[in-house]
Amino acid sequence: MKRKAMAILLSLIMAVGMAGCSNGSSSEDTETSTETAAETTAETTPEDADSDTVIAWYAPAPHSYFDEVKTGVEQFMEDTGMEVIVQIGADWTQASENEKVEALIAQGVNAIAIYPCDASGANGLYEEITEKMGVNVVNFGTDTDDPTTASFAVATDVKQAAYDATVALIEMMGEEGSILNVLEVLEDPNTALRKEGVEEAAANYPNVEIIQEIAGIQTQEEAVSKIESALSANAGKIDGMICTGMEATVGMSQILSDYYEKQGDEKHIYAVGIDTDSGVMNAIEEGIIDATIAQNSTGHGYISCMLLKYLGEDYQVKEDAYFIDSGNVLVTIDNMDSYEQNLEEVTQDILGRLTTDYLEK
Amino acid sequence: MSGKKLKNEHSIKKLFGRSEVTVILAVLALGMLFSIFSDSFLTSYNMFNLGRTAAIYIFIALGQAMVVIVGGMNLSLGYIGGMTVVAAGYSMEVLHLSSFTAVIIGLLVGILAGLINGIIITGLKINSFVVTLATSFVFTGLINGVSQGYPYNEIPSGFTVLGRDGFLGIPFLLWLAILILLILGYFFKYTVTGRRVLATGGNQEAAKMSGVNITRMIILANICSGLFAAAAGLLWVSRTGSAQPSTGSDWMVISFAVAVIGGTALKGGVFNPIGVFFAGFLIVIVKNGLVMLNANIYYEQAYLGLILLLAVSLDSIKDLINVRKLKKDLKAENKM
Repeated sequence: MKRKAMAILLSLIMAVGMAGCSNGSSSEDTETSTETAAETTAETTPEDADSDTVIAWYAPAPHSYFDEVKTGVEQFMEDTGMEVIVQIGADWTQASENEKVEALIAQGVNAIAIYPCDASGANGLYEEITEKMGVNVVNFGTDTDDPTTASFAVATDVKQAAYDATVALIEMMGEEGSILNVLEVLEDPNTALRKEGVEEAAANYPNVEIIQEIAGIQTQEEAVSKIESALSANAGKIDGMICTGMEATVGMSQILSDYYEKQGDEKHIYAVGIDTDSGVMNAIEEGIIDATIAQNSTGHGYISCMLLKYLGEDYQVKEDAYFIDSGNVLVTIDNMDSYEQNLEEVTQDILGRLTTDYLEK
Repeated sequence: MSGKKLKNEHSIKKLFGRSEVTVILAVLALGMLFSIFSDSFLTSYNMFNLGRTAAIYIFIALGQAMVVIVGGMNLSLGYIGGMTVVAAGYSMEVLHLSSFTAVIIGLLVGILAGLINGIIITGLKINSFVVTLATSFVFTGLINGVSQGYPYNEIPSGFTVLGRDGFLGIPFLLWLAILILLILGYFFKYTVTGRRVLATGGNQEAAKMSGVNITRMIILANICSGLFAAAAGLLWVSRTGSAQPSTGSDWMVISFAVAVIGGTALKGGVFNPIGVFFAGFLIVIVKNGLVMLNANIYYEQAYLGLILLLAVSLDSIKDLINVRKLKKDLKAENKM
């Protein structure tokens, strides 16, 4: 009896939950900023769109980076009047991404801007939807392995960003001293590129050495624990620290404030990270870290949607055109308020060259 | 042979027969090894950090151990920690509540999540693996839904005192872990409820026949599991000064590794607070030591696995040696 009552109660909870999960597609409300995970934000159905191109934008999971990219998508919608189906998945896996994208294609989507979860695994999905269904695909944020059937990748050149960040760090250090290189997930091919970028930059300065590399960081907890260990292992010997991943950068900003509290701040460790998490920006403001590389996240959203729009208007991809470096800006305490403007200028420059440098009729 | 000598031998054998001794020996051996090869290993800064991380690992392990003791498991442990972090961060940054209130809310979230797990497991008689796997998705959804992936960075400085400071050179976090382990040690050894919880894990049918309300014990274990997961989450926020929604995503392996290496039997019914304490240190020391020795980053995980395998094998090696010695003694006695 008790068990039956429990089952009924759970069924009721499920029913209420499902009712709560429905996105209310009949609603006239077009506000998109407050939507929750896995919720389709565009209020119009694909059939309502004016042109034949039905664009979707897909991000694998809720994340501050994707929110910034979504801002670019929203700007695109505002500027062009085109609707984009915005969908954010619930977990960062290729399997889940495949399911969600297949569902979007079934709804009539024929152009998609997507962050590939797996650089190799995503290509299987792309082959199916591009070759069999004629869907145009643009990668944003990161690239897939070559060969790929995606038309473009709009992303930060990770090796260049790592190189730029390291050069900035070395210049702050007075072109001499020892660097701690903090890398993230080794399974990610981008990590190897970032490692190369850091090493190539350091190699240009004879008085600079990479004292230690740490890696295998997937979470902020791992970042904190590994950076702490490396600081202990090289106490007093580290002059600069470079982090080329977001989790590592967040971890670095937390550790350094604690490090200065415990060890004193007589010796400043110059620190440069990547990404503009609010904690990282606070750390720059407080002088705990010195700079961070800001990606053009808004541009990732805007440019990728614009490419899909052009591809739907019978533009063809120019020979050898594929990767579009969306640029990056070094953010220090001096340009914290203006760096977004710099990135906007980069976006406008790229947009102005899309139909000349990357596409043709 | 004098009686005193025999007594001493018996005491040494008894000491080495204890399950936690091998973990303690492994911690000491690795500590010595790393301190020989790295000058920085024994520095006060490193020791302080090791203590803080080990303390959080102990709390995470306790979250798992509480349900393993009653023959269950909690796959949603990390996500309960994540929910707590988000609840506390949201309370402080968005609702502008005091740190104290945020802590209470965080702990209540953990307790409630544990209670839900416990009620479903016992009410519908579904395996804890399935239930906590399902609730882990629910909790992940709630974490993402509330936080939208954004961290909460406006944590009052007073909140970080517990995670960043210490007493007598030992972090407050470690003092807290020791206190909790002492309380749990007492609870399981000397209280009726504690013995009932252990009995439930040892043999549910026998416990039931003995008049133990096993439903109540399993729910209690799940509530404690949620409470410790919440505590670990809050302590992590206190340590870093930031409430990150991704907190807890890598806790599952840590929780099982520390609890089981520390002597908590996977089949239930056994809890060893001293073992859990040293197992927390074992994992942290291995991870820290590999960075200290500047191990090749690509092979680091392999080294970590090998060292842990060696450490946990010590107990089995000791048992094998004991069995062989016993057989030898019996043979010798038969010959006589």
